[in-house]
Amino acid sequence: MRTIVGLISGGADIGRTRVFWIGFGVIILLFLLYPTQTSAFRVANVSFYLLNIPLGLGMALLWGYGGVLSFGHVAYFGIAGYVYGIVAGNMSENAFGPLAGVAAGLLASAFVAGIFGYFVFYARVQKWIIPILTLVLTLLLETFLGQTAGYQWRIGSVLLGGYNGMTGIPWFQLGGFVFEGYSFYYLCLFVVLACYFSLRMLVNSNFGQVIVAIREDELRTELLGYDIRARQWVVFVLSAVLAGLSGLLYVQWGNYITPSQVGLLQAALPVIWAAVGGTTSLLAVVISTFTLNWVTYTLSAQGNQYAMVIIGALLVVTMLFFPRGIVVMVAERLGRFRTRRTAPSQP
Amino acid sequence: MDVLPLVLSLLYQFATSAAFFFLAALGLVVILGMMNIINLAHGELMMIGAYTATLTVHAGVPFWLSVILGFFVAAAFGAVLELLIVRRFYGRELGALVVTWGVSLVLGQGTLLFFGPFLPSIKIPGGSFSYGVFSFSDYWLILVLVSLLLILGLWWLYNRTLYGLQAKATMQNPEMARSLGVRTPRIYTLTFSLGAGLAGLSGALLAPTVTIAPFMGQQFVAPAFITVVVGGAANVIVGAVASSALLAAVKTPIGMAFGAFSGTVALLFAALIIIRIMPNGISAALQKYFIRRAGGAAR
Repeated sequence: MRTIVGLISGGADIGRTRVFWIGFGVIILLFLLYPTQTSAFRVANVSFYLLNIPLGLGMALLWGYGGVLSFGHVAYFGIAGYVYGIVAGNMSENAFGPLAGVAAGLLASAFVAGIFGYFVFYARVQKWIIPILTLVLTLLLETFLGQTAGYQWRIGSVLLGGYNGMTGIPWFQLGGFVFEGYSFYYLCLFVVLACYFSLRMLVNSNFGQVIVAIREDELRTELLGYDIRARQWVVFVLSAVLAGLSGLLYVQWGNYITPSQVGLLQAALPVIWAAVGGTTSLLAVVISTFTLNWVTYTLSAQGNQYAMVIIGALLVVTMLFFPRGIVVMVAERLGRFRTRRTAPSQP
Repeated sequence: MDVLPLVLSLLYQFATSAAFFFLAALGLVVILGMMNIINLAHGELMMIGAYTATLTVHAGVPFWLSVILGFFVAAAFGAVLELLIVRRFYGRELGALVVTWGVSLVLGQGTLLFFGPFLPSIKIPGGSFSYGVFSFSDYWLILVLVSLLLILGLWWLYNRTLYGLQAKATMQNPEMARSLGVRTPRIYTLTFSLGAGLAGLSGALLAPTVTIAPFMGQQFVAPAFITVVVGGAANVIVGAVASSALLAAVKTPIGMAFGAFSGTVALLFAALIIIRIMPNGISAALQKYFIRRAGGAAR
């Protein structure tokens, strides 16, 4: 127990003070009580903002801590979503079909990422090649899924559906209990918290420190005796599984998925969440993912055509003026203010 | 069936798809090779060239002139982009990638809002002729020719002009170049602008063969980036030429036998296998080979 607390409160993320943890607890309490205060529609919207967080966390882990940038993590999001749709759709009579779908979806994401990661990390390619190849992979996936209209693209009883997408994907259920509406909201909240705390433990662990060391200096880390290729590969697969987790929740939330979920516009989003929040902090990315999803969803729900222009411009502004991320830089400013006031003698 | 028409047809397909890869990647490789920056707004710069060409052709300008206009409009865009944004990201490769992606989102969405979802396309100049059972398009043959001329032109630019000399000096050792009186910031602006202009030129040249839409740049993104990754950054012009030829040699037979999509998938696998064997791309492998041969001959 003590090691767990030690790992969570280690130095690899922002927010370590008592005040922070009290605030964190209050916010979680508010999220737990939220469904009792509002309509089912709003709860479903907030579920959507929450379910994207694992994807954002995967980006933060890979890019911020690992120093490897992927533009194609929506590919793993889409693979998990489609595989869940195929497996759970074919086992709709079985009460444990969705669970099998979840397992198959995550395995499929990990499998594709594993093969892809083997080629790029074991070839020790230059830094700029990985983002480009990941982007190409997701574009190809979109093209492939787009041409799967028609009855020849039927797997069991499920149609892939081309650009119309796959519809009628079942809810998640465990035995007789179906997660929909309020229970789905709590499922999302649970998954997000579980991902956040386990990643926070991971980045504070020995493994996490080696990952950061690889980001800082590959050669030096290797000379200290670490196999950097294997560690980068593990981080890549892990972040792909996190993206897959978001994909699973997404199809369970909306019961459908279309190829544009793995297209160029969607591929930009996780990168933007991570950059705006600040890639070197998991918590910052959680905050920015939630907020940006809220903003884009609200804007586009109002029929605002400028949503993507605003988001793209936000990315450019962040990269120009807040290179370490808006949330991280605000947090640092707050932290400095606090230290100056409470402990002026400290350097 | 005669063998000669079939061979000619294969050769034609090979040459046209090599020309397509080369044109799609051209602007990207100039910027990557000289400045070590991947410009993810490349597709949108091609889109700007294509839009310029399309709008001016519809306004009555002859096609060849509108292609040149496409070059200059995209080059002007590139210069502004470099001065305002890209300038701050030298030496930060991943930062440059991300910021140019933001730019591409804004440009693509902005075009959608400003010009609507598509423009009426322009028809392919020139006719076609047939030989045996196959028919060939004049315009694609012209594109092959233009690609060859562009290769020669770039060679001339980088080996026979003052700009080329200063650009190469800046690339090899910016500090030394500065102390010898080269204004390196201006070289960077010119190079980025040249790369953007070449992207616009390619976009304008390919405009008659594709649908003119705000996100038309996306279809060039995958082939352009695969070409660049396979070619590598050691000598980008040689790399781009060699990898265009190689990728066309992969795509032509597979695309013919199994359809266009399988051809594109084969490209990704070819790229993955090639970088597994030659992590720095074809150009680095070629360079190493020639250096070794030259060394052997000297001994």
